[in-house]
Amino acid sequence: MISKKAKKQIDSWTEKYPANQKSSAVMEALKIVQLENGNCLNPELIQEVADYLDMPGIAAQEVATFYENYNHKPMAKNIIRICHNISCMLNGSDNLVSHLESCLGVKTGEVTPDGLICVKKVECLGACVGAPMMQIDDQYFENLTAKKVDEIVKSLRKEGK
Amino acid sequence: MFEIEIDGKIVNANPGENLITVTDREGISVPRFCYHNKLSVSANCRMCLVDVEGATKPQPACSTPVSNGMRVSTKNDKAKSSQKAVMEFLLINHPLDCPICDQGGECELQDVAMSYSSDVSRFNEGKRVIADSDIGPLIQTDMTRCIHCTRCVRFGAEIAGIMEMGGTGRGDSLKIEPFLQEGIQSELSGNMIDLCPVGALTSKPFRYELRSWQMNAVEGIARHDSVGSNIHIQTYKGKVKRVVARNNDNINETWISDRDRFSCDGLNHENRLQKPQIKYDGVWKETEWDTALVYSTKALLREVIDNKEESKLGALASNNATLEEYYLLRKLLKQVGSDNTDYRLNIKDLSNTINLDSNIKIKDIENIDYALLVGSYTRLEQPMINHRLRKSSLNGATIDVINSMSFNYNLPINSEYILNSSQIANLLARTLKAILLSKEQEIPGYLDKFKVSDADTQLANKLLSSDKSAIILGEHLINSDNSSNIANLISIIAEKTSSSTLNLSETGNSIAAKSTGFVPNENGLDANEMLASKMNAYILLDVYPKYDFHNSVSAINALRDEKTFVIALNSFKDSDVFDYADVILPISSYYETSGTHTNVEGEMQSFSAAVGSPKDIKPAWKVLKVLADLLDLSGFNYTDSSKVTSEAKQQIKQNIEHDREINLINTKGVEIIWQPSPYSTDALLRHSNSLQATKIGQLNTASMSASTAKSLKLSDTDNYLGVPVVISEVVADKCVFISSSNETISEKIS
Repeated sequence: MISKKAKKQIDSWTEKYPANQKSSAVMEALKIVQLENGNCLNPELIQEVADYLDMPGIAAQEVATFYENYNHKPMAKNIIRICHNISCMLNGSDNLVSHLESCLGVKTGEVTPDGLICVKKVECLGACVGAPMMQIDDQYFENLTAKKVDEIVKSLRKEGK
Repeated sequence: MFEIEIDGKIVNANPGENLITVTDREGISVPRFCYHNKLSVSANCRMCLVDVEGATKPQPACSTPVSNGMRVSTKNDKAKSSQKAVMEFLLINHPLDCPICDQGGECELQDVAMSYSSDVSRFNEGKRVIADSDIGPLIQTDMTRCIHCTRCVRFGAEIAGIMEMGGTGRGDSLKIEPFLQEGIQSELSGNMIDLCPVGALTSKPFRYELRSWQMNAVEGIARHDSVGSNIHIQTYKGKVKRVVARNNDNINETWISDRDRFSCDGLNHENRLQKPQIKYDGVWKETEWDTALVYSTKALLREVIDNKEESKLGALASNNATLEEYYLLRKLLKQVGSDNTDYRLNIKDLSNTINLDSNIKIKDIENIDYALLVGSYTRLEQPMINHRLRKSSLNGATIDVINSMSFNYNLPINSEYILNSSQIANLLARTLKAILLSKEQEIPGYLDKFKVSDADTQLANKLLSSDKSAIILGEHLINSDNSSNIANLISIIAEKTSSSTLNLSETGNSIAAKSTGFVPNENGLDANEMLASKMNAYILLDVYPKYDFHNSVSAINALRDEKTFVIALNSFKDSDVFDYADVILPISSYYETSGTHTNVEGEMQSFSAAVGSPKDIKPAWKVLKVLADLLDLSGFNYTDSSKVTSEAKQQIKQNIEHDREINLINTKGVEIIWQPSPYSTDALLRHSNSLQATKIGQLNTASMSASTAKSLKLSDTDNYLGVPVVISEVVADKCVFISSSNETISEKIS
């Protein structure tokens, strides 16, 4: 169920668009609903968002599966978004991903058993100058090495406890 | 119009056209997958890349608008190498499992790959695999074969009007699938099979049956509704294997409904009647045709022709016989002195019927600017009409609905009136009054008691102000107390506002029945009168009493009378027919007989038999001809059915005169509208297992408002007339709307 509060937030977005084009607000609506639902979407919620915005369920699902920032499984507290596009890849992002996978003991997209960390491979975040790079929340970490990554993970774990 | 050059040839092009439209018109072949002339352009497959002079990169022909003096090469090195490169990319993840793929032989990917790909793949890596999803009993998915052309996605959003398929995920994890695995619900879903350029979406009932080149394609006409969609019937060794759409821009464009596509499943049902049978002392015995026909003739002579006392012969037919069958049966009866013929078996009161002429062509429906839809859910009942209506709506037309229940329309409805039939008649009467007031014309007496409200004036103004308006009357109101009033009011309103009318209460081939005079004249008895008076004999043409008669219990009782001799021509077995008939003659079903279908615009479309009838099953027109010959009647020496057609056509009555008297009645008590599910309207449909397994095929609800349920002492766990109750606030008060594929339990309705 989408809460009244969330609906109000969605309304503030639909107001920006013509009345018969409510579906323009789908990305924001999904984001709002996801935040409210423990950082995770499910088919019922997606359908509800679609109904609320007068659009087909599958069209909302298309959006929700297209973008990395929508989660379809319970999500970790911290999401490490690691870029795997060309500049980062040439600077060894693949090695960093496998390093992260082995030190966390989970594959990309999976959540560590303590629910703290999840690694996601994402497309270019526009910080090629500092490749390889990754993003946690709103913060960029650039010119990464395996050692640097270890430290970041360590500090995340510390904060988590 | 200006000139452009394609492959060195100067051709004409219109501003705004895309290149591919021009190349298609000129017969220049450009390979494509995602482009389809009835769908929007998505330009995502890139297969139609061509070289446009002045452009550095090759351009997709499907989305490149022509411009004056443009020079295009579709076959130079640049174009060819781009097309080949795209082909190689498309084949990277395609499984190339053609030998086990149903699409093999009619596959656009296979055809194009023959010309545009190399014979050895350079791709040695692992291919993508997608798990199949079960999307219902009609369409088989093999999504690993999908090339993401999105034709099925666009078909849903643009043509079917409900977006069901979509592309989820991104990049190499993009999948074409429906949401929530609920399966595809559209009544036009089968067209996705025709549209899919690869073997990702194929026909489930036809799975692993045959290769396309093994079959013959026979042109045919679909007879399940009053549209008469054009189809190709594909046959193999005398059996109908598959039905696909045949293009006719005046009628069905390139689409057909699932009903027309999958009904052929029923032809080989075990329930088909195989041999003539005679009842001796209450026991049915199979016999030869000669014996059965001579037995029938003798009985007709004894009971009717040589009977010096009152002799009464009646003929009743279903609403989906051919024009020739109606004509011959009518002629046979007339020659033995009987005018008792009728096909309107499902109408409670035949003195109160809908008489409304249709005067709009199917293709013109998409050009109207205002439509008033009365008592019809066109989406399920007449899918191709609904498609045109949807197109008109997309072109900007306003659609208003008057009905006793609201439905899941796939087009935007402007305003909706949910009323019972008396209220509908009153609304139309007030609208007529508003129209007459605004035109300052004389108000007839029956309108005196009505006060015109602002809303009525609004409705009237919409009809008056629109240039091309249409009023469409459907089949939901055929048994209401005000049927004829509603039809007559619509007829007068249409006349006063220069609107077109479309009468969709005509279903199957009923217009052919009407035009051949199969409805009784003043000397004849109608269906209800025949059943009420003791007849000596009946000839019944493909009648299944529990589904066809309004009051099946009394009909079966009347036919069962020991003194009544019943000759039943049927294509499928039916226990009630065995109960009341004396002779049963097995007749050909759809596609096994030649004939003519008359659609709602009056278009008479003749078709030949696609396959011969199975052994010992004869086309009904031949049976009737031989029966007439045996009775020594003259004028029945036809060599083939086209002779019957041309004779019948000379005597066709186009628009039958009828009075437009109006005498409004107030309905008392609860009104029941029994609307058979669209997949149970004739015997063939009822025997198509694939259609019956769909959601539409399993419709079974008695919808009523909470207050109606309370007055009937029902809750949503109860059944009403054998149908589960659904409490719904979109049903008019004092109305029960039953959508069901069940037999009508109609003794309780009348």
